[in-house]
Amino acid sequence: MNSCTGCLSRNTCQSADKPMEDYIRQLPLETAHHRVEGQSTKCGFGLQGVCCRLCANGPCRVTPEAPKGICGANADTIVARNFLRAVAAGSGCYIHVVENTARQLKNTGLHKDKIRSEKALNHLAELLGVTGTDKYDLCVKVADAVLSDLYRPEYEPMELVEKLAYAPRVKRWKELGIMPGGAKGEVFCNVVKTSTNLSSDPVEMLISCLRLGISTGLYGLQLTNLLNDVVLGDPEIRSAPVGMNVIDPDYINILITGHQHSLFTYIQDRLLEEDVVAKAKAAGAKGFKLVGCTCVGQDLQLRGAHYTEIFDGHAGNNYISEAVLSCGAIDAVLSEFNCTLPGIEPICEELKIKQICLDVVAKKANADLIPFDYETRQADGDRIIDEVIGAYKARRGNVPMNLFTSHGNRNTLTGVSEGSLKAFLGGSWKPLIDLIVSGKIKGLAGVVGCSSVAYGHDTLTAALTKELIARDILVLTAGCSSGGLENIGLMTPEAADLAGPNLKAVCKQLGVPPVLNFGPCLAIGRLEIVATEIARELGVDLPQLPLVISAAQWLEEQALADGAFALALGLPLHLGVPPFITGSSLVTKVLTEDMTGLTGGRVIIDPDGKSAADKLEAVIEEKRKALNI
Amino acid sequence: MKRIFIDPTKCDGCKNCSLACMEAHRQDGGTGIYTLDLQDPSNQSRNRILTDGKGGYNPIFCRHCDIPDCAGACMSGALQKNMDNGLVEYDAEKCAACYMCVMSCRYGVPAISPDRKRVIKCDFCAHLEEGPACVRACPKKAIEVREV
Repeated sequence: MNSCTGCLSRNTCQSADKPMEDYIRQLPLETAHHRVEGQSTKCGFGLQGVCCRLCANGPCRVTPEAPKGICGANADTIVARNFLRAVAAGSGCYIHVVENTARQLKNTGLHKDKIRSEKALNHLAELLGVTGTDKYDLCVKVADAVLSDLYRPEYEPMELVEKLAYAPRVKRWKELGIMPGGAKGEVFCNVVKTSTNLSSDPVEMLISCLRLGISTGLYGLQLTNLLNDVVLGDPEIRSAPVGMNVIDPDYINILITGHQHSLFTYIQDRLLEEDVVAKAKAAGAKGFKLVGCTCVGQDLQLRGAHYTEIFDGHAGNNYISEAVLSCGAIDAVLSEFNCTLPGIEPICEELKIKQICLDVVAKKANADLIPFDYETRQADGDRIIDEVIGAYKARRGNVPMNLFTSHGNRNTLTGVSEGSLKAFLGGSWKPLIDLIVSGKIKGLAGVVGCSSVAYGHDTLTAALTKELIARDILVLTAGCSSGGLENIGLMTPEAADLAGPNLKAVCKQLGVPPVLNFGPCLAIGRLEIVATEIARELGVDLPQLPLVISAAQWLEEQALADGAFALALGLPLHLGVPPFITGSSLVTKVLTEDMTGLTGGRVIIDPDGKSAADKLEAVIEEKRKALNI
Repeated sequence: MKRIFIDPTKCDGCKNCSLACMEAHRQDGGTGIYTLDLQDPSNQSRNRILTDGKGGYNPIFCRHCDIPDCAGACMSGALQKNMDNGLVEYDAEKCAACYMCVMSCRYGVPAISPDRKRVIKCDFCAHLEEGPACVRACPKKAIEVREV
């Protein structure tokens, strides 16, 4: 190692994962946790969303002496415009993911490739009202139904919305005029809206956020899961190892990051084939292993039952990817989307880790770009494998190992989905509903979304989750929140001891933890299916359920698009920090108060785990009362 | 005795100092930048950043001068040089709102309050143990507190 580490800040940020905090503090390489301190002075105008740099007259900032931009835009316009722009970008990200996923399914059908779940295919075909001559044709037809909706212009409503969404919600959305047009067109139209001197109407822009939320949620989230289930296999509930202990230095290890699991299908199967394993052995390794990081790792973990040979487990969320790479036993990073931090680049450089990107949208500066192409996947796959083996040979023995074998645990419950959970409950939601009605489970909380570090790595997510389960509220997770919570043991059966007496008894009886791991952020779409099926069984609309959502440590624009989906569904949505809106009293009021009258949802902002839990518990109590339970 | 020293060459004009000043002196009982009303004139900052016309900035901060123009011009005695801590202190109770200080200060620091009944001037964040909020908020270290 030739880097001088004398100047490296030792003031790393706090983490809910204390062993990880200690590990990162002693690392000789810089991580995001080290950079938090240097970025601790935040711009107040940015935090409040009242900095506008849409034109060359700017940046304009709102102050008491200058309450309007040069163009005349006031704080409400500036804030709403910035917010809609972020939601549109976030929606675009998820729509990109579902587009590639649908294309993958279509190609699977066209090439008569491996289908891992015909059950999922038939379920999806039935849901969308699609028929085919055989299973391969069905794949093509299902994919085409999705793709043709995505490619519709924004002025043409998407056809699958009413098939995917809960009828009472659709009714409300129609009343509000927020049924989305073609998903890509919606992103396009709303980006136009937010450009220089176009829309200045803050309320119209907030309503547009809801429309984007619907297309993001139903297509980018819900459908991505259902499409992936066909090609990659249905989630199955099982116990699995998590954390850095999953890394076995005897193998050639590939860290995968991103959100597009289907782009790995080919290579992850190929890595197990005899000739490829022979290549690994010739290089001195036992074979290949994929190590999970970020949401694509969560997704692989969710379907881990189908991949026990190639996948050892999920190491952690986006903000420990730098630490995972620093352990020395990772030979390559295969990335295809966010959250692949730019911060991994100097670490890869230093430790001679090969970086390869499979999708140009996530091209990293020092990575090779080998865009996934179904037609050339075999040749590309072999090229990738040879590059990775080359890196293994060049670096092993020449870079220091800094393994962290005690990190994480070996018995995290994974593989929870709308299908596997229902099956676990005996094929019906009734047992869960009974527990909720009897008060043994007071309510449900989806603790979802990202991990962030500026105010502590997973600290709020963990504090809030512990508070919620202590109040007998069952927590369901999806996103990098899963990665953080599983590494600190909240998804092991033993975590039942941290739950309130009623929830604890339920968990002990069923042998499950009080925090159920639905995997990646995409699985927010699965939570929506669970909520919808429960609501349907009860004969109520979603806002009536004793259900709250928290994106406590939301990080990025995608999370804001997800949040817009939660609001469209009529759910209370907790955020740890405001989404750069407080500079406008109008926007803040619409999102935190008036939204209740529109969709039934609202934003609750609270940076403290305990007081946020107080508020969410009060919402659940209120909803229980209204339901007379 | 302490003073704020300014290095205009380091200033990027981000106005974090102004927001920190507004936050430190807000009267609505709230705390935290997210709830600071940026459109409320009563939240006026005691410092300001002006352009120098040459692509740089002139941060305008009270120097708590050894021979203060403002206190010298103040007929009511509202502005006084405190010889113990070196600060030029302002007592709004005594202020007659004549604005002689506003006219006299060679740096242009004192400003007329929105209600026109007093002036707005740096108090060196006397109520904060950590010292002036503006200095702590500057990401460029263009302003710093030094012992004199």
